[in-house]
Amino acid sequence: MFGTKKPLWGPQPEQKKHYDAVLIGGGLHNLATAYYLAKEHGMTNVAVVEKRFIGFGGAGRNTAIVRANQRTQENVPLYKDALDLWPQLTKELDFNLMFNNCGNVNLMHSEAAMKAARMNVSTAQFLGVESHVLDAKQTKELVPALNLSQDITHPIHGSMYHPPGGIVRHDAVVWGLAKGAAKLGVDILQQTEAQGISTRQGKVTGVDTSRGHISTPKVMVSAGGYSAGIISHLLGLKLPISVLTIQAMVTQPLKPLLNHVVSSGAYHVYCNQTLKGEIATGAHMDPWPNYTTQVTARYIKHQAEALTEFLPCLRGVKFMRAWGGLADMTPDMAPIMDGNDPLDGFFMNCGWGYFGFKSSTATGRYMAEYMATGECPQRLRPFTFRRYEQHKLMGETAALVNYTPDN
Amino acid sequence: MALMITCPVCGRRNGYEFRYGGEDKGAYPWGQDMDPRQWAEYVHMNSCTAGVQKEWWYHRDGCGSWFTIFRDTVANVEVENPEERT
Repeated sequence: MFGTKKPLWGPQPEQKKHYDAVLIGGGLHNLATAYYLAKEHGMTNVAVVEKRFIGFGGAGRNTAIVRANQRTQENVPLYKDALDLWPQLTKELDFNLMFNNCGNVNLMHSEAAMKAARMNVSTAQFLGVESHVLDAKQTKELVPALNLSQDITHPIHGSMYHPPGGIVRHDAVVWGLAKGAAKLGVDILQQTEAQGISTRQGKVTGVDTSRGHISTPKVMVSAGGYSAGIISHLLGLKLPISVLTIQAMVTQPLKPLLNHVVSSGAYHVYCNQTLKGEIATGAHMDPWPNYTTQVTARYIKHQAEALTEFLPCLRGVKFMRAWGGLADMTPDMAPIMDGNDPLDGFFMNCGWGYFGFKSSTATGRYMAEYMATGECPQRLRPFTFRRYEQHKLMGETAALVNYTPDN
Repeated sequence: MALMITCPVCGRRNGYEFRYGGEDKGAYPWGQDMDPRQWAEYVHMNSCTAGVQKEWWYHRDGCGSWFTIFRDTVANVEVENPEERT
């Protein structure tokens, strides 16, 4: 029965001998880049090369949360652009991305955290992103299930409330973008591994895949957690990235209980209730580099303990599934987006850590502009690879905590 | 399967007792004339090996030793020194 269903993006195309651009990695960033290359820049002779299947990596393993309440003034506008794109793309792609802007509630558990929240909210308001500081009582009004008791490990002082954020159906975004890109003529080559990038006199000339050689003047690597390994292995270019395993899980379905995404830095927990009623919750990362996506009992226990402290009604609820994914962390918790440096025609879009999902569509659009015109869009300029040697690290600390193995 | 690490003092212990100390990048470049790019290379850049790599660990919840081990980052297990094996 299932075998008769054709993919939305058509049958697997034959790999051509030449493309105007080859995008390595079949995740959201590259599918969005391919879509916008074709749609806004008329570049339709483009291939997306994916070793496994589209949406295998972070695109299919995240907890579907989107928001624009980051810390730095360089980051916030990029995430805001992405947030504004979801309803627009739903129409454009004629595919329901199930964007539910239920709002995000970040719990704060100390006066210091409240101060940080006030700084974040100021940045957001300055940049036109709606965000508020709430005290404990107001937070409880939004999320009645919360436990305001002083008798827990991290009592709740208040929260940062960000109404425009929420959740988007991650698989729908993969399928919708793949459908949109394929319709415009992009070749999505699954089960095709990029094995080499050929260069001549400082210029990209082609890509070798498991299906043969492609000649192309432009290559982008944006393969989530695998990007840094691919770039270091194929080009010998080392990046300031550590790849860590991050785990998530869902409970059995429950009656409606949470109307917002609720997260807590101190407890290392973020959770939301899916449309099916499951509580989807993410844990933090094993603080050492890993390419495994296996799960560990340690985090299942941790999530259960943390969740039931501030949402005591979840006691006794069972976890149904757990999974792991990869996060490519940079020292300043901000991504690396760069092009034509050190090689002409080579572009990279990586180091997204666990934020890549939220920003994928806007980033794809800007990277498409960068690849098509050769001019770096203003929005992406602060994210240059050279910022590390210039000692201009970003300090994007709105992340729940500093998760890199450097801490 | 959780990571187990062999501390030179305490023996094989649960990986969560330890803190990762980065890829082994050789000796600290004391007294060398380095430009900012070379420093960034030493301080920030990683090989991100999917496979066996040599790396530093610190026995935080134990004896406090710093030491290196070889670990397979794909299987997430400590392995013997691959050079000694050959």
